[in-house]
Amino acid sequence: MYIHRATCISPQHTFGEVDIDPLNISVNNQLHIIEPPYPDIPPGLLRRMGKAVRVGVGAALPLLRHGAAPDGIIIGTANGGMEDCIKFLNQIIKYEEGMLTPGNFVQSTPNAIASQIGLLNANKHYNITHVHRGLAFENAVLDADMLVRENPSGTYLLGAVDEISTYNYNIDYLDGWYKKEIISNKNLYETNSPASIAGEGSAMFLVNGKNENALARLANIHIIHTDDEILVKNKFSDFVKKNSSVNEKIDLFISGENGDNRLLKYYTACENVLPADITVARFKHMSGEFPTASAIATWLACHIIESGHFPQHIIKRKLKETAFRKILLYNNFKGEQHSFMMISKS
Amino acid sequence: MSRIFVTGIGAISAIGLSVAANRASLVEGRCGIAMLGLFPSAYSGRLPCGEIRFSTEMLKEKLKVNDPGITRTSLLALHAFDEAILDSDLSDDQLCSSDTALIGATTVGGMCLTDELYQDANRKDTTGSVFLSSYDCGSVALYLQRRYKIQGIVNTINTACSSSANAIMYGARLIRHGLARRAIVGGADSLAKFTINGFNALHILSPEICAPFDKDRKGLNLGEGAAFLVLEKEEDVHNRKVYAELTGYGNANDAFHASSISEQGDGPYLAMQRALLSAQLHVDDISCINAHGTGTENNDETECRAMLRLFTKPPVFVSTKSYTGHTLGASGAIEAVYTVLQLSHQEIYPSLHFKEAIPSVSLEPARSYKTMQVNHAMSNSFGFGGNCTSLIFSKT
Amino acid sequence: MMETAELKQQLKRQIVEFLNLTSVKPDDIKDDEPLFGEGLGLDSIDSIELIVLLSREYGINIHDPKEGRKVLVDINTMADYIEKNGTK
Repeated sequence: MYIHRATCISPQHTFGEVDIDPLNISVNNQLHIIEPPYPDIPPGLLRRMGKAVRVGVGAALPLLRHGAAPDGIIIGTANGGMEDCIKFLNQIIKYEEGMLTPGNFVQSTPNAIASQIGLLNANKHYNITHVHRGLAFENAVLDADMLVRENPSGTYLLGAVDEISTYNYNIDYLDGWYKKEIISNKNLYETNSPASIAGEGSAMFLVNGKNENALARLANIHIIHTDDEILVKNKFSDFVKKNSSVNEKIDLFISGENGDNRLLKYYTACENVLPADITVARFKHMSGEFPTASAIATWLACHIIESGHFPQHIIKRKLKETAFRKILLYNNFKGEQHSFMMISKS
Repeated sequence: MSRIFVTGIGAISAIGLSVAANRASLVEGRCGIAMLGLFPSAYSGRLPCGEIRFSTEMLKEKLKVNDPGITRTSLLALHAFDEAILDSDLSDDQLCSSDTALIGATTVGGMCLTDELYQDANRKDTTGSVFLSSYDCGSVALYLQRRYKIQGIVNTINTACSSSANAIMYGARLIRHGLARRAIVGGADSLAKFTINGFNALHILSPEICAPFDKDRKGLNLGEGAAFLVLEKEEDVHNRKVYAELTGYGNANDAFHASSISEQGDGPYLAMQRALLSAQLHVDDISCINAHGTGTENNDETECRAMLRLFTKPPVFVSTKSYTGHTLGASGAIEAVYTVLQLSHQEIYPSLHFKEAIPSVSLEPARSYKTMQVNHAMSNSFGFGGNCTSLIFSKT
Repeated sequence: MMETAELKQQLKRQIVEFLNLTSVKPDDIKDDEPLFGEGLGLDSIDSIELIVLLSREYGINIHDPKEGRKVLVDINTMADYIEKNGTK
């Protein structure tokens, strides 16, 4: 599958004039999106949209300008419009199940993002929303990959979005996934404590089966559910073997390390499978942790391949000068859902 | 391209705790919709719903489940999943093989625990409830994955009312692309204050028992339930029993409005057309349809228009939501199971509470049970946000 | 009971706020400008939301959205209905 265009709205300057050298700093263990203006969203619809829908739609629409009509819209989101969800929930409690306004309910449904993109693009083709928590984006990738094989002349919109809302922040905080002590994302990986910091963002891609003029090739993906780091390591090793050759070595490993010391064992196990001279980078200090953060990593890989440039702050270990042409991503969510992706220059 | 067969089915709904019990109700025209009774809500005793008359505690006992964080949605899913696995005779090794996929669907997930969710989301106390990791849609399939150590592709889909129909389609495609050898596909949803109030706020709940396709219909009744189907490749079936073949599927987006379908039923029309194309069948080949038929003013009329556009003379159709209520994320799978039963037993079920056709379309659903030749049967799910899916199953 | 003109101004403010009409100022809404279709361009979800507004702010309970549309034609008809039926 080939990625032809990519957009990203995140806590860093990843949208419009992209400049990811400076690192925006977290506040109260949260990295919030920098929201751009949304000229493509009519005010009549924009007024109803909660953040997740706005950001997802806002990231997608620039890819659909000038009459572009993808043959399918495939979105991954673990939670959808969570802020709308809690607004409706609070109404239920406040008004004791009396007369309630339906707008929040309609906008809270996870498939509102794919549905609104479809509405704005007058798109009657395949439309789907994958909501499988930390593998929502990866299932969207698998789906898009199958579509490209089923319809080689088609082009598809593939993407993901998740937001920080008081709702899921509180729940994940209580469940021990966000740090108790306030830290800065600048030092995320040095904090030797459990949990991470919250993030949010959206990345959208136009994909098809054609090589010419492609930004990058999403060559392979593998997902597993386990908490056993030996199994992860073995599967990772198989994936690496299957996806490297003498002529095409992996030159960059992007790791989903997130400052949670309970999850380090997975990332260390995989890093140790790789040759010692491979460059290792990390991305969650830029995006924060959230279920579909791997979409941001995918965007980052495309950006690095396309521009030939990378910000210093992503580097964990770099031992040789090389252009990054073949990038391996490993991410996990809460140590239970794992994905490996191979993205290379096409 | 591999032929896909249904080798196991499981279902639980307001009309039965098993596939056999569901079928008995369908054959006898026995409705499962009654005033909300078990469910703690301001609507208790006031709103007709397809409620499963088995409390969450009773379900836990029956399934011998002690997990503190388990939700009603996951319990219903487990109930149907267990039945499907047993029915298909899958071994433990096959179940946790890395080529077995599990594709679930739900719209409510653990949000059926609306009050607990409110407490946790607003951080009303410092420790939080035992349900913290059970609220999201992914929690249901993840529960099954963990319990049975499923190692293949696991996913959850939420496209509102077409969710589990899309799960069935996704599972079949995984098999066809060699990404899975077999797929257990389906969905679950339980009654929740969140959805009851949401649908009520949209004024699409009927204060009476729903009457799909009737000219005086007043809206839908919410229901709950779960269903799973085991899909396998022809090469793996050998001499085992097979219910039906999944021969076609199609999905389309209506792209009209966030909560209603376009007047001419574009999304439904395109979904059905695509399913026929994928099955390489003609409109005349379809023996019967399990319609979406929610009983709302918008859905039933637009669905009829779409059927007239495609079929000119539509085949016999039924809305089994007149028995179970609208089971939302589970409806695609529950109705797929009913469609498979129609093929397996060569029968059609009556649509309940119908008196008079909608004048603008003059279409009548089936009014009585009968045995008949059923070669190819279609099952339709047209959802909120315009997501429309059509599945075609065929006799083997 | 407030003056009709004041009620109309209040209604315009409430509508803008309730429906989150970020690109509209209350003063931009004319008293006889159609709320639905043309004019303000509201839709079916908005009509339900306005019925809730009438209930919460003015104690008026309209149960059928179709009946509601007869009241929700423009600011004039809304103000008129509130003056005749409002309990708050």
